[in-house]
Amino acid sequence: MGHPKFGRCDGISRRDCLRVGSLSALGLTLADRFRRPAFASGGTGGRAKSCILLWLDGGPSHLETFDLKPMAPAEVRGPFRPIATSVSGMQLCELLPETAKLAGKLAIIRSMTSPLGEHGLANHYLLTGYHPSPVLRYPSYGSVLSHTRPGRSILPPYVAIPESLGAGAGFLGSECEPFVAGGDPAKPDFRVRDLDFFPEVDAARLGRRREYLEAFDQVQAGLETAAPDADSEFDRAYRLVTSGQAKRAFDLSLEPEAVRARYGPRTFGQSCLLARRLVEAGVPFVSVSHTGWDTHEGLELSLKSGYSGAKIGVGLIPTFDLGFSALLSDLSERGLLDETLVIAMGEFGRTPKINTRGGRDHWPRVFSVVLAGGGVPGGQVIGASDRMGESPLDNPVTPNDLAHTLYTLLGVDPDRELQTADGRPVPVNQGGRLIRELT
Amino acid sequence: MLAFSSIRLVVLAILSADPQRPVHFDTEIIPVLTRAGCNAGACHGAAAGRGGFRLSLLGADPAADHESIVHQFEGRRVHPVDPELSLLLRKPTGGLDHGGDVVLREDGPGFERIMSWIRAGSPRGAPRTLTAFEVMKEASIGDELPVEVPLRAVASFDGGPPEDVTRWTLWTSTDPSAVRVESDHVVKLSRPGQHVLIGRFLDRVVAVRFSVPLPAEPVDLTAEPRNGFIDDEVLRVLSELRLPVSPPASDAVWLRRVSLDLTGRLPAPERTEAFLADASSEKRGRMVETLLQDDGFADFWTWRLAKLLRLHSLPNEPESLRAYSVWLRGEIVRGAGLDSLARQLLTATGDSHVVGPANFGRMVGDARGHAELFSRFFLGSRMGCANCHNHPLDRWTQDDYHGLAAAFAKLDRGRQVRWLPRGEVTNLRTNEPAVPRIPGVRDLAAGDDPPRELTSWLFEEEPRLFARATVNRLWRGMFGRGLVEPTDDLRDTNPATHPELLDQLADDFIANGYDIRQTLRRIALSETYGRGEAVLPGNVADDRFYSRAYSRPLEPEVLMDAIADVTGVADSFPGSGFGRAIEIVDPLVPVTALDLLGRCPSAGGCDEGMAGTGGLPAQLHLLNGDLINRKLISDEGRLGQRIAEGRSDREIVAEFHLLGLGRQPTDAELTAWCERLATGDVRQRRLRLEDFVWSLLNSRSFRDNH
Repeated sequence: MGHPKFGRCDGISRRDCLRVGSLSALGLTLADRFRRPAFASGGTGGRAKSCILLWLDGGPSHLETFDLKPMAPAEVRGPFRPIATSVSGMQLCELLPETAKLAGKLAIIRSMTSPLGEHGLANHYLLTGYHPSPVLRYPSYGSVLSHTRPGRSILPPYVAIPESLGAGAGFLGSECEPFVAGGDPAKPDFRVRDLDFFPEVDAARLGRRREYLEAFDQVQAGLETAAPDADSEFDRAYRLVTSGQAKRAFDLSLEPEAVRARYGPRTFGQSCLLARRLVEAGVPFVSVSHTGWDTHEGLELSLKSGYSGAKIGVGLIPTFDLGFSALLSDLSERGLLDETLVIAMGEFGRTPKINTRGGRDHWPRVFSVVLAGGGVPGGQVIGASDRMGESPLDNPVTPNDLAHTLYTLLGVDPDRELQTADGRPVPVNQGGRLIRELT
Repeated sequence: MLAFSSIRLVVLAILSADPQRPVHFDTEIIPVLTRAGCNAGACHGAAAGRGGFRLSLLGADPAADHESIVHQFEGRRVHPVDPELSLLLRKPTGGLDHGGDVVLREDGPGFERIMSWIRAGSPRGAPRTLTAFEVMKEASIGDELPVEVPLRAVASFDGGPPEDVTRWTLWTSTDPSAVRVESDHVVKLSRPGQHVLIGRFLDRVVAVRFSVPLPAEPVDLTAEPRNGFIDDEVLRVLSELRLPVSPPASDAVWLRRVSLDLTGRLPAPERTEAFLADASSEKRGRMVETLLQDDGFADFWTWRLAKLLRLHSLPNEPESLRAYSVWLRGEIVRGAGLDSLARQLLTATGDSHVVGPANFGRMVGDARGHAELFSRFFLGSRMGCANCHNHPLDRWTQDDYHGLAAAFAKLDRGRQVRWLPRGEVTNLRTNEPAVPRIPGVRDLAAGDDPPRELTSWLFEEEPRLFARATVNRLWRGMFGRGLVEPTDDLRDTNPATHPELLDQLADDFIANGYDIRQTLRRIALSETYGRGEAVLPGNVADDRFYSRAYSRPLEPEVLMDAIADVTGVADSFPGSGFGRAIEIVDPLVPVTALDLLGRCPSAGGCDEGMAGTGGLPAQLHLLNGDLINRKLISDEGRLGQRIAEGRSDREIVAEFHLLGLGRQPTDAELTAWCERLATGDVRQRRLRLEDFVWSLLNSRSFRDNH
């Protein structure tokens, strides 16, 4: 009956005491209080140490990115043509030339399918693997990982760049929410919120403040013998802001100009670069959100050029191509790709027929998701959509299956039970199936 | 001492089921499936079933289950000629591959029962209703641990004589390391404390409480000071558990605590000094009266109620929130009973820009949201589970949930709040329009007026429901935890730490006209509330029986205001200019610092007890952000002014201690601070003093309510 503890992301189950019916306060030893959940490991795969989720917010068109239909009628085919890739038989959109060179590293699922075509609901489904429920907010991948892999690392376990995604910690509570970087990594003066010293408060003064604080807390500790948190929130924050190493992980300005240029000058690329730095420094889960993919109208413009009259395309796809390809090759060159799972996806695909405003609307019945690294065999396409990119033709994969597989790849047992605040056990994943091709 | 006598009497009267009577599906087969876990949410009880076989969650719908077992899948689940070949038996025993492993033993009674039921032709049987279900156990537990305790569960059908259903009851321990179910009828207790075992039989769930004393000498608490029934009850439980009591808190600690709990503010220095100097034995009583009449009390409890009622601004209608919050504050100022406030919430109609309480139903989108808010606020109960299936741990059924929603279905939630002639919600169980219903009690008739019926149910028929939910929240406001936790999840299977005390407080609340001040006064003047937080060797592990005081972090808004008060630099908020964070009842007002400190960010409200302390982002903000730092460097702030006035380190240290910690520093502390701060350099002195105030504001002494 080993219910996993409803722990904090730092592993101390403060909320034990709040668990319904668990009135066994007495006899609770300190050893119990500081017990941390067992490190989930094993399962099939589980090679990935960390994960970078590139979230293409709004629902990217599968027909303009990873699943083109050159033989379909013009109103389905759309404005762009496919190009060959380094993998024979695998074609991608012409706006993804850099990604095409790395096709040998990609696993593309072209038969993703979901019934949910509204942003909020679909977000939740793709980011948690659970259908949204009116009674329970499920935790997203990063929060589950924070919960199941509490480290004593100086860096937070889940960082969201630049802003958080639609789904957060859900019932795991605020302690498993992501650490939000904020700001715009593409700006020259970009800094992560509250990581830098306040003006005129240098390390020496911070050291003094810590010393003074200890003086106050010793007075307090004299009153209680209930041990204060061995590793308090203050200690963690203090270590983070005073550890040069940890702070450097967040500091993009330390990257050589050539590397920064490689990722492209825009927010998405620089966010990818920051994600790479964090993963390199040991952060288990980083999300990068790339907004604007909800292309109901003028799809060609927003996907390709970005603005009318642009000489070089700075639309969504070229921006993605640059950042994504730079991230994969950079990780690969550093020997990190094999232990870093990279996923690019949005909440659904787009309607097969281009609408009267030159856009495509929401289409969850079939869409594509791309994975690389983390031990996933590359150079493959999983499943297929039909002739019009309308429905899965074979091997349909649900977001639930994807969740099951991602957790497995990340070494989290999908059957592991989490606990809601009111004591309801909820498995990490329910009813999903493993996508064998990815392991 | 074992008290078996009560059990023995009952045992004599218990009948065994008549062996000749055919097995009854609804009341005899379903418990077997429930015990084996077949119809649990993770298995065939899931909404979509498992492996093509679907059962209702925990057997809530026997007709559908009978159909599914006997007739679906071409009848292969039961094999009347060769019962052993039935899938219903072969799968769970592992005879055939089963995704859910082996859950039924061939030599067990469940197997035998299913066999004889199939042999008899798998009948549904005549309807039979469970009319009583009870669990009996020993009244008290001895000293030796571990100890095995026999249990007995009895059920009556159609009002008939009790039958022993112990072996058909599903027992679940909420903490298996303390209570383990050893066999059908024995639990093993292995740790001291209060423990709960849940017994489920058909749709009844009961909580069995075990109180296991510490392996210590009995404590004699008869001489402990007491002030009323709160102390009597708390001391009774403490002595039952053999927990010694910590000495009382000092006047200074008590004053800071009671000021924060009643008004959300630190005591002003003049008030602290006058109180500490006052030698009268009546001074605590007088102070409580002062605080209860303070403006801060009205602000603070308006804010608390606003959070429970989920006040938030509506797009383009600022008038609604204004009318609602002004009305709420007015009710608190005039000391209206909470019953009167509650009646208005249920019945008010009219222009919601003028009539404050008419906005109750506007804070939620629809009738279901209205029903959920109603059950949380009035009953302290989470009914949401029953939207999709009967609540697995509570008495709420889907009919209750949708019936309650139907009671609010005719409400027009536009600006003009009014009851329309029609309006319905669909009962997800039947896919028919739901019948308006008082949950757990009765359907409403066509001509009934739902708000009136609900009001009379709440305040005349079962007043304890609302009273319990409310006093439990008041208790939480004073102690940082409710007698039941979480405070919005009251149910039989989540018992209070002090059930008798909860009832006494509820009855007292009703008897005093639902006056929250009266309940808060009682709590504030109890010895229990006045306990100190010093830990004794014997009560280290106690975190819920009030043998000592428990410190808890200041809520984000209270902390922000306290920082502003101590630094002497007020905050500026969007829309309202300078003000106090506690006056922001609208969670949609953007205040980055509050978000970072961990306030509930959503208009939809948060589960009570879920509010975090903000974690790492909060700490980083306190460390490097401008919330504290900007205030410290301000020349208009308290520190800047005191330095400009030429005050000594000693004076400044003393003033900030008094302000922030509610006490004078000891001589030793003063001396130590003066040594730390001493420097000949003016600039250095300023920086050191800033660091001193910063440390004070970050210390546990300041950030916690002790």
